[in-house]
Amino acid sequence: MSQDMLSGLLLLGVGGGGCRLAASVAAAYGGGLRALGVDTDAMSNREASADGLTCLLLGGARLAGQGAGGDPIKGRLAAQDDFENLIPHLQGVRTVVLVACLGAGTGGGATPEIIRALHGMGVATFCVAMLPFSFESEARRKAAERVVSLLDEHADSLAVVPSDDLFEGGADRPLEEAVRAAEAALASGVTLLWRLLTRPGFIRADPERLHAQVIGGGACGFGAAAASGPERAARVVQSLGRCRLLRGGERLAKAGSVLLGILAGPDLRLAEVGAIMGAVKGLCRADCPIEMGTVLDAGYEGRVEVVALAFEGGAARASEGRGELPLIQEPPVAEAFPIQPGGRKGGRAKGGSKLAYGATGRGKFQNVEPTMIDGQDLDVPTYVRRGILLER
Amino acid sequence: MAVPLLAALEIGTTRTVVCVGEAGTDTGGRIRVTGVGTYQTTGVRKAQIMEVDHVKVGIEMAARQAEKAADVSILEVMLATSGGHIQTATNSGTVAIRSGDRKVTKEDIEEVNEIANAVPLDPDRQILHTISQRFTLDDQPGIANPLGMGCKMLSMNLLAIHGVKNRITNATSVAKLAHLDVVDVAFSGLCASLAVLTPEQKQNGVVVVDLGGGTTDYVVYSNSTVIAAGCIAVGGDHVTNDIALAFSIPLNRAEEVKRAEGCAWVETESGARRVTLAADIGFEERQISGIALQTVIHARMDEVFRLLRTRLDEAGVLPHLGAGLVLTGGGAYLRRLTDLGQRIFGLPCRIGQLVNVDGLEGVEQPASFATAAGLIEYGRLAYEGKGLLTPIKKFFKGMFRI
Repeated sequence: MSQDMLSGLLLLGVGGGGCRLAASVAAAYGGGLRALGVDTDAMSNREASADGLTCLLLGGARLAGQGAGGDPIKGRLAAQDDFENLIPHLQGVRTVVLVACLGAGTGGGATPEIIRALHGMGVATFCVAMLPFSFESEARRKAAERVVSLLDEHADSLAVVPSDDLFEGGADRPLEEAVRAAEAALASGVTLLWRLLTRPGFIRADPERLHAQVIGGGACGFGAAAASGPERAARVVQSLGRCRLLRGGERLAKAGSVLLGILAGPDLRLAEVGAIMGAVKGLCRADCPIEMGTVLDAGYEGRVEVVALAFEGGAARASEGRGELPLIQEPPVAEAFPIQPGGRKGGRAKGGSKLAYGATGRGKFQNVEPTMIDGQDLDVPTYVRRGILLER
Repeated sequence: MAVPLLAALEIGTTRTVVCVGEAGTDTGGRIRVTGVGTYQTTGVRKAQIMEVDHVKVGIEMAARQAEKAADVSILEVMLATSGGHIQTATNSGTVAIRSGDRKVTKEDIEEVNEIANAVPLDPDRQILHTISQRFTLDDQPGIANPLGMGCKMLSMNLLAIHGVKNRITNATSVAKLAHLDVVDVAFSGLCASLAVLTPEQKQNGVVVVDLGGGTTDYVVYSNSTVIAAGCIAVGGDHVTNDIALAFSIPLNRAEEVKRAEGCAWVETESGARRVTLAADIGFEERQISGIALQTVIHARMDEVFRLLRTRLDEAGVLPHLGAGLVLTGGGAYLRRLTDLGQRIFGLPCRIGQLVNVDGLEGVEQPASFATAAGLIEYGRLAYEGKGLLTPIKKFFKGMFRI
């Protein structure tokens, strides 16, 4: 069994953008990566499959492989239809890292649904969600923002990555090129993370650590930086500190725990590791635990890359581990606001499900003996319990 | 055998139905409905009586209509019942064959029946039906009639459908207040199945799903025997309630929009248009999203069907449904519900048609009368001694005053 299979990690690309990202990571990783893509668009699936990613079609019976047409409701329903098809691919998986581009139908609609279902199975989820560029349509931006609140509700850890922060080229570059460049930047970071977790270096970051940090994580900052030549250790940390994804170091300064990965060639010196760690510690709170790992790759001779995950959740919570935390059970139903779908396993206190509008009570069944099945009050509307966002 | 006139009462969550019918030699063995009365029910939630006075009025009004149509005075009725309290239990009996030649005798069959019928239940439960399954001779299962066959041990399984005694009594008490004596009580889902299934469907395996206002009843047949049954206390009222809550509109408007625009499938084309809710007293004209409406309805019906599928799966009956799903009740007419059923179960799904029943040809949505018509058929079977309970012919003497 490959190291990847043993790691209990699965990279899951959702939607067209998510599949492209997952395929890029798989290609950069160099084979053996345990990755899967799901999309409603058969053509997009074929493209990602051609890039070496195993892809599943969602909602084939409903959408006939034509895609969700930018409609997140269709994306969500497609995920509901076919989530069962993912289950055979989840054998031995403890943590799923989802990558998705929000603002479109499948990425926006299916991702929260899949995360919710994974949560129900007791699988930890770390979602890396890419927001549209600021110059894209207002509708797309708003759709993405609505989805972020749903992801925030269900994912154990969520890294929201604005595309603007991934792309620093000229504003006059074509949209497609800009999107590809942003996706490539994110894919590079995820690849580095994956290598860190699955390919032993002389200091290895254990996937179990990621698992524990994901559970306790909450909101997460995700940043990467690279440098080469003399003083590369100092310069890579400076770049990381300036990284827009980490809000110029603000995310690190406020982090409850940090996972730091260093990718370098065999020429990496112990003093350089010490310098990087020391500098990163300087960017974080004094009591912030930093888990560190290294990957050595002959192709990185003379270079060093670092990736940092800055989790909002505290170390204490992360170290609690999953065993003591509730897995599948929905929280108790409250009369005033009965639905709290997918109770979190740690981290921040959560509000209720975020609906576009509509009351959330039991309506005409208010004073009637509830229909309770599998711990759910079926008198509460299904769309509320499933966290479905309704269009106005 | 000449079967007297029979009267059926169904206190539904949204509608009360009284049905008068006959099934004698002159009807060619078919049920002939001679009078039907319906009245909108108020005071019932999920098939449970909440407001006795309101329910009593509904029964009286429906009975009056049926009496007028059939030109009789109804004194006694059979009552259809449902609700989340309806459950099933299985029990088995085994006897050693004592005759010297080891042939099964009539006495052996009666004895094994008696043992299997002693279903251990809590004292607050009341058995509605006991349904004998096939016999097992030693290790040979699936025997329909073991009389005269050779074996050492004779076994029989039995399915009992039971409910909470007080809830059943409450319904009979309200009928009594409306001057109708209840002579027998039957499970609604079972009644519906009697009205819509052909012998071939029962033989091949089928599930009848009766989608009422407050509950979803189901009955599964295989090899011409009822092998599973039950009730999920979710019905069309839940769909209406979901719509009312989703769009912040009154329940009556939600019911209207469900009937006019409801669809169990999220459709690209029809969902794209806005649904207009006309102005009414105290209600300004409004438009709601068609796709949101379909999404709300789809979510609910999807859930109900998936729950049902899980129950059938747990009961181990899913592989025995060669004839698919038959939908009855008012909820069956929700647009594209059969498509949804077909997709979730992977089986053919259709709306039930009343078989073996005359006199209801002109009614709208005939499958919504399946329970009442089936209750007449149930009475006929019971009268002829083919029923699922002790024959009740002794009760029928005074059912009507003609």
